[in-house]
Amino acid sequence: MESNNTLGLHAAWIIPSISAVAFLIIVVSMRIAGYFYSDRTKLALLAPIVSITAILAGFILFWLVLLDVLNFGGGSISMNWLVVGLTEIRWGIFVDKVSVAMLGLVTFISLLVQVYSIGYMKGDKHFEWYFAIHALFAAAMLTLILADNLLFLYFAWELVGLGSYLLIGFWWEKRSAAEAAKKAFITTRIGDVCLLIGIILLFKATGTFNISTIFHIAESGGISDAILNSSILLIFIGAMGKSAQFPFHVWLPDAMEGPTPVSALIHAATMVAAGVYLVARMMPIFELAPEIMLIVMIIGLITFIFAGSMALVMSDIKRVLAYSTISHLGLMMLCLGTGGVAAAIFHLIVHGIAKALLFLGAGSVMHSIDNETNIWKMGGLRHRMPITAITFFIGAASLAGLPPLAGFFSKDELLLSILHDGQYVVLAITLLGVFLSALYMARVAIVPFLGSTPKHLEQSHESSSIMWVPLVILAILSAGIGFLILPLSSTYPGWAEFIDPSHHFELEPWLMILSIILALAALIFGWSVYLRKSVSAKQIIEFAPSFYKTILNKYYIDDLYQWIIDKCVLAFGNLVALFDRVVINDKAVDGSAISVYMSALKTRVLQTGYLFTYGAAMMLGACGLAILWWILLD
Amino acid sequence: MIELTHFQVLSGLLFAIGLYGVLARRNAILVLMSIELMLNAVNINLIGYSIFMNASESHRALGHVLIIFVITIAAAELALAIAIILRLYRNKSSINTDDINIMRW
Amino acid sequence: MTSLIIFYLASCVVLGGGLAVVLSRNIVYAAFGLIASLSGVAGIFILSFAPFLALVQILIYGGAIVIVIIFALMLTKLEDFRTLSDHKHWPIALVTSLITLGIIISTAFYRPANLTSRSGLDLSKLADELFSKWAVPFEMASLVLLIALMGGVIMVRKIDSRDDK
Repeated sequence: MESNNTLGLHAAWIIPSISAVAFLIIVVSMRIAGYFYSDRTKLALLAPIVSITAILAGFILFWLVLLDVLNFGGGSISMNWLVVGLTEIRWGIFVDKVSVAMLGLVTFISLLVQVYSIGYMKGDKHFEWYFAIHALFAAAMLTLILADNLLFLYFAWELVGLGSYLLIGFWWEKRSAAEAAKKAFITTRIGDVCLLIGIILLFKATGTFNISTIFHIAESGGISDAILNSSILLIFIGAMGKSAQFPFHVWLPDAMEGPTPVSALIHAATMVAAGVYLVARMMPIFELAPEIMLIVMIIGLITFIFAGSMALVMSDIKRVLAYSTISHLGLMMLCLGTGGVAAAIFHLIVHGIAKALLFLGAGSVMHSIDNETNIWKMGGLRHRMPITAITFFIGAASLAGLPPLAGFFSKDELLLSILHDGQYVVLAITLLGVFLSALYMARVAIVPFLGSTPKHLEQSHESSSIMWVPLVILAILSAGIGFLILPLSSTYPGWAEFIDPSHHFELEPWLMILSIILALAALIFGWSVYLRKSVSAKQIIEFAPSFYKTILNKYYIDDLYQWIIDKCVLAFGNLVALFDRVVINDKAVDGSAISVYMSALKTRVLQTGYLFTYGAAMMLGACGLAILWWILLD
Repeated sequence: MIELTHFQVLSGLLFAIGLYGVLARRNAILVLMSIELMLNAVNINLIGYSIFMNASESHRALGHVLIIFVITIAAAELALAIAIILRLYRNKSSINTDDINIMRW
Repeated sequence: MTSLIIFYLASCVVLGGGLAVVLSRNIVYAAFGLIASLSGVAGIFILSFAPFLALVQILIYGGAIVIVIIFALMLTKLEDFRTLSDHKHWPIALVTSLITLGIIISTAFYRPANLTSRSGLDLSKLADELFSKWAVPFEMASLVLLIALMGGVIMVRKIDSRDDK
């Protein structure tokens, strides 16, 4: 695998390194500055400058890597990490078209979000720390994307989780934020453990962590079916945890307790996409296990529909977006389950940009109206903050699938992939989900921005330019990036073929028209329900009140988990604690001490204190040893 | 003719006498004297082997050297032991070993 | 043959002195018994062609150690020692020493293979060995002596200074 060590490949490993160095610089300088300045606001801008410079450098280097991949097709470089016996474990990076696309997405969104954060987080107590974690997160995420072996990937995977934990709990003084951080960490940890077990299984079967080598061995039948299936399933469970797939989705809505730019970066565009990326990356071995592919598809489908329905009833703007994120991640998983790597990655990028835009827009709204998140308390904001409103509409329309915005193309590609796999039932359900996603997008865009302005919002105003410039950039991209799917020139054969040369660009007119019709229908329906009120939302609810209540309570899944934790885990914990107190503590620890004490009471009589006793015992002992020596010798 | 066995038996007898003295006598100074007897028993054994072993001169010299060391250490031991006994006598007004049992439980 | 008779005589002195030490009721007799026993050992040394060791034995034991012991007797209350009683468990002591004796005597009949007839060692050879090969242990022994003497002095002096206060 030691291939052409081109400039681009070297640029690739530098990208995460810069951010890691930036993290260290910020943390160390915070520490040092703490000694000299009691008032740290003077130095406050240092942290964002360092971290943004790092990620900007990463974004510039990304173009080098991209050029390299376009010219030479990528490759990998690695160095020895540790050698244990015959097993070599290496650090290394692997660059191909998928990873370079992710690289661009992550550096770009990170850059914009960090710039935006300067405005959003202004005046926060832990301003520098915020940017330090951002740099750490960027380093970890970029490492995850580039890693060429599973162990290295897992290492980055955990670091990403750490970054997410720290940022969700960034306002840890707030109890709900701390709880949400714990919930996110523990829920994803279940997946992480499965991922680790899966990686270890693969390592045991193949003797290497290197992803490409594992592919080769697996494709030549070097891994038994049982091991292959179970390890792939475990890896998929890891991906489910990170990508908040049903039934691990519960952490993501709660993760909205973090600062909004964090939600935009980590919980919409990058980290939650890591699971999708992992599955896409491991696709060659997933394809060897059709049963697992079916599970991937079904899980994706369930998540897509469930999360979509929940997004429809939430009243918290960030939670709506969070459920929408889960839903779209489900859609990507669904598509991966049908083998559509190119379509899934394309949707990942499009969704990442659009969702980052929506979250930043939501952040901009919250910033100007005193952190209000309930959409029913908003309205008519388009007059107050026109730039935010327009960019938000573009993002929402893109995700709703209106042509010619990016979301339309990516969704079309996904549907096409499902169609090609011949899953007609799945396709029908997916189309229902498309309708749902267009509907909740219409709801979350119409309710806060259109209509009449409530009195208490009349003081709201547009955010500062440092916040709206990223919005505009994202909106332009969100509108325009979809054309990448088309064969634009003779050298660029369209996205699908660019990623996977065996595919070709194609269009299915009836499917396209159907999805446009569905999206428009949803928009019109949303329009009439939420703006014109010609259809009463209440009537629809009364149509099936218990169902509505079920959705509103998130299908009681959170409650079920809480019940399991309360009844089973805590009961088991109490049992263990009882065992610890009675057996370990009383019997083993105290017991050994007491037995020593009691035996000492009995045996201390031997210590007479008389020279005679000691002398006789010593001499007789010596005689005994001499006799023993004789016996043994003869 | 004198043989090694003679030395060994003599040494054993003297050692046993010394041991009996150490164990049976209750006066600390007498215990000390008995220890000197035991050390001399060792010396007899050493000189016996030194003159009867068929070995190089330097090996046989080892026996003599060890005797010199034993005598030296005996002197050092005695000096300390006497000091300890004197101090004991000052503190407890007794050098009876049965009275010295504060090290027990 | 003459030497054997002398050896038996010396042995009698050694063992008789030893018995006097452990059996005598009077501690002063015990001290005289010790002198006799140690002198007998010096005789054994002479029989072993080691006159230097015999000299050292008489000088150090007879001239120094026994004198020190007698000084110790003088510094403690002599009256208590006029009649000495043995430990009440003396039969155990007897048995122990007899067992030890048995073991040591039995070793005497395991004869090492390469024995020669009795032959002495030149004093100059001993000096050579002691001050070349064994020079460091020799110096160590002198250090041990010094430290022991210092320890003895300090121990005894401390009592005096505390009594003065």
